[in-house]
Amino acid sequence: MAALSFRHGPAWLFKIGALFAALGMAAAIGWVRQPREYRVDPPISAALEQIRLMPNTISGAPPEVYFALNQTYETGGFDLSQGKRFYTWFGCASCHGDGRGGSGPSFMDGWWLYGPSMVSIVSSIRDGRPHGMPAFKNKMTIDEIWQLSGYIKSIGAYKASVSAPSRNDDRNTRPAENRAPAATLFEEGPNPVHPDQGPSP
Amino acid sequence: MQEEQSGPPMDTDLDDRELESRLAKTWSTRPGFWGKIACVDHKVVARRYIFTAFVFLMLGGLLSLAMRLQLSQPEARFISPDRYNQIFTMHGTNMMFLFAVPVMEAMAAYLVPLMVGTRNIAFPRLNAFSYWIFLIGGLLLWLAFALDAAPDVGWFAYVPLSGPQYSPGKRTDLWAQMITFTELSALAVAVEVVVTVFKQRAPGMSLDRIPVLVWAMLVMSFLVILAMPAIMFGSSTLILDRLVGTQFYNPAEGGDALLWQHLFWFFGHPEVYIVFLPAVGMVSTILPAFVGRPLYGYMLLVMALITTGILSFGLWVHHMFTVGLPRLGESFFTASSMAIAVPAGIQIFCWLATLWAGKPVYKTPLLFILGFIFTFVMGGMTGVMVASVPFDTQVHDTYFVVAHFHYVLIGGAVFPLIAAIYYWFPKMTGRMMSERLGRWSFWLIFIGFHLTFFPMHILGLWGMPRRVYTYQPELPWASLNLFVSLSSLILASGFLIFFIDAIKSWRSGPPAGANPWNASTLEWATSSPPPPYNFRRIPVVSARDPFSPGNDELTVATGLRTDRREVLVTTIVEALPEARESSATDSVWPFWAAIATSIMLIWSIFSPWAVVWGSIPIAVALIGWFWPKGEAEDES
Repeated sequence: MAALSFRHGPAWLFKIGALFAALGMAAAIGWVRQPREYRVDPPISAALEQIRLMPNTISGAPPEVYFALNQTYETGGFDLSQGKRFYTWFGCASCHGDGRGGSGPSFMDGWWLYGPSMVSIVSSIRDGRPHGMPAFKNKMTIDEIWQLSGYIKSIGAYKASVSAPSRNDDRNTRPAENRAPAATLFEEGPNPVHPDQGPSP
Repeated sequence: MQEEQSGPPMDTDLDDRELESRLAKTWSTRPGFWGKIACVDHKVVARRYIFTAFVFLMLGGLLSLAMRLQLSQPEARFISPDRYNQIFTMHGTNMMFLFAVPVMEAMAAYLVPLMVGTRNIAFPRLNAFSYWIFLIGGLLLWLAFALDAAPDVGWFAYVPLSGPQYSPGKRTDLWAQMITFTELSALAVAVEVVVTVFKQRAPGMSLDRIPVLVWAMLVMSFLVILAMPAIMFGSSTLILDRLVGTQFYNPAEGGDALLWQHLFWFFGHPEVYIVFLPAVGMVSTILPAFVGRPLYGYMLLVMALITTGILSFGLWVHHMFTVGLPRLGESFFTASSMAIAVPAGIQIFCWLATLWAGKPVYKTPLLFILGFIFTFVMGGMTGVMVASVPFDTQVHDTYFVVAHFHYVLIGGAVFPLIAAIYYWFPKMTGRMMSERLGRWSFWLIFIGFHLTFFPMHILGLWGMPRRVYTYQPELPWASLNLFVSLSSLILASGFLIFFIDAIKSWRSGPPAGANPWNASTLEWATSSPPPPYNFRRIPVVSARDPFSPGNDELTVATGLRTDRREVLVTTIVEALPEARESSATDSVWPFWAAIATSIMLIWSIFSPWAVVWGSIPIAVALIGWFWPKGEAEDES
């Protein structure tokens, strides 16, 4: 110890350090705290319907309430996990496979026919799109559609967020969403020709 | 002991006063804030440990009151289901991992060195490190709770519920990492206790003269060393499954969900005895002081302790009777579960015989011990009931089980622990606790406990499942639940009085002498509270009770240096002096090592790369910790 004696700073320095450490820990946890909303208030749910699409139905403005919710459908671990369940429960995999596409387009080839924004994805799921994408507005509530949309965005993300879902207790055909599968599995998909704005927008 | 003519200053030819001042100079902690952080005195560290653990007990108790509030009426709306899940998980996790095990280990760290007559615990810096790790682990869990990110999967966190698919977010990762924190600290203390008991006993304290408490702490430490690695493996693989996507618990990819239950209960069942065996030791040590005769059946008790320790590793499957294991296996574990009642019965009969043949003086510690015997026997009997598969199948996951394990854990560990606090409080603080408040707290706790938990047996038999956040008004459970909730207030008030008594006595209790109970174990041979060096001279033990009321003269050994921290190393079986060994000096490095370890462990919740980059600060802290002092350490 004599050789490497630690020069002690004053006690207040330590106390401030300890305070910052505790705050840092709190911030780290708070960052991922992900409060869970099991039953969305009706006014919020009504507001979530109010997406304003561009006239060509590609991209647009999300409702104000989405920002009041801290964009939880893209960042909240619980919402993303719920989205992952809906992906299975509503049979998304029958056309889109594990996200790499099938008869439907891939989510991992970097190409979004209607743009990568949340409102486009929500609109695609809610109202359907030409060439086989059915509308789910009579099968899912609007917050479920937002959860599913957030999840679908996370499949195609090139950089995984810490709150993205992990693997399922199932046979897994690709790395889980928290391993950023799109970054490693980037491929053009079965439908390589991409007209500028989808097959026929 | 050998005498040396010249060389370093020895304690051989000094008068008491001169010796005390020299030892105080060598062993004292430096004043000031950093001195406190650097302190490695086992008594100081253990006192912090005990204090922190009792704070967690208080917090856990508040959680249980919150649950009782929610359950006091059907369809109550005080707490949301999600919050309720967090609360019962926090309650169990907190009580088992942040209170029960740490407080028992802390009692060991405080008492074992004193009872075996040495000057500090073995590996004192590791001891300080373990406290910081424990503290940070506890803070982590409670911060998570404060921020609505507490685990919500039950205290045993079964997969697949706790696995990646069904437990989104970081809640379960925080739980698993908290496990790693507390088990790390528990393992550290266990190693210290084993080495202290085996190698640092006072000369003459052969194995058959070790106080029962020290035996109990020794067996407990071996249980910790054998059981905790299972849960650390479990918590680490769970995090790997969740973060990296390994398949340990995924049946579809060749993993096994049942593996988790085996790992958890291979730790979880011995855990019960990790909590209970120290209590056995406490009871056996406290009892003789209040009945005026030596303990009956020392040999039997020690054998029963060791048998319980060994058998405790053969019972874990009785937590899994409804999982659907092979019949033959279930029968085997039924038999072994019932077999452990035999050593427990031997212990009970030894205590009864001691009471029977003595003249009991009903002071607070003895009251709590009698409460323990009564309550623990009842819990043990329901234990034998649930050991049988058909019965267990009926009451599995009902309030019957909740009642059973609270009888065993509160009856079997908390009652003796409070007795131990009342008994050793004078030694730890130099002040007596109030006898009047002690009686109040005993009767409130005892009556409140039985009124709270006995009806839960009935609720369980009526089919009320554990962990429900509410129940329907049509079910016949409402009135009993209201009764239980009201009774829990009596129980809580008893604990409140205990805490008030402890705080009041700490500040202004009447001073206690060196030996207020006329007890016969070595910790009472030194002043209260003991000086930093514990004993002026190392005692020499020639009987099982080193000093009894008629004989308060102790023979002592001399020949230790006074200018550096030195302890006497003795042989395992007969405790013959073997060598003089230096004992570590104060250091802030254990603290920094704990900080570095915590950063790595918490970071690893978010990224596996934390293990790589986080190990660098740990290495730096460890280099500082073990940096050579520039003088020969082992010259004797």
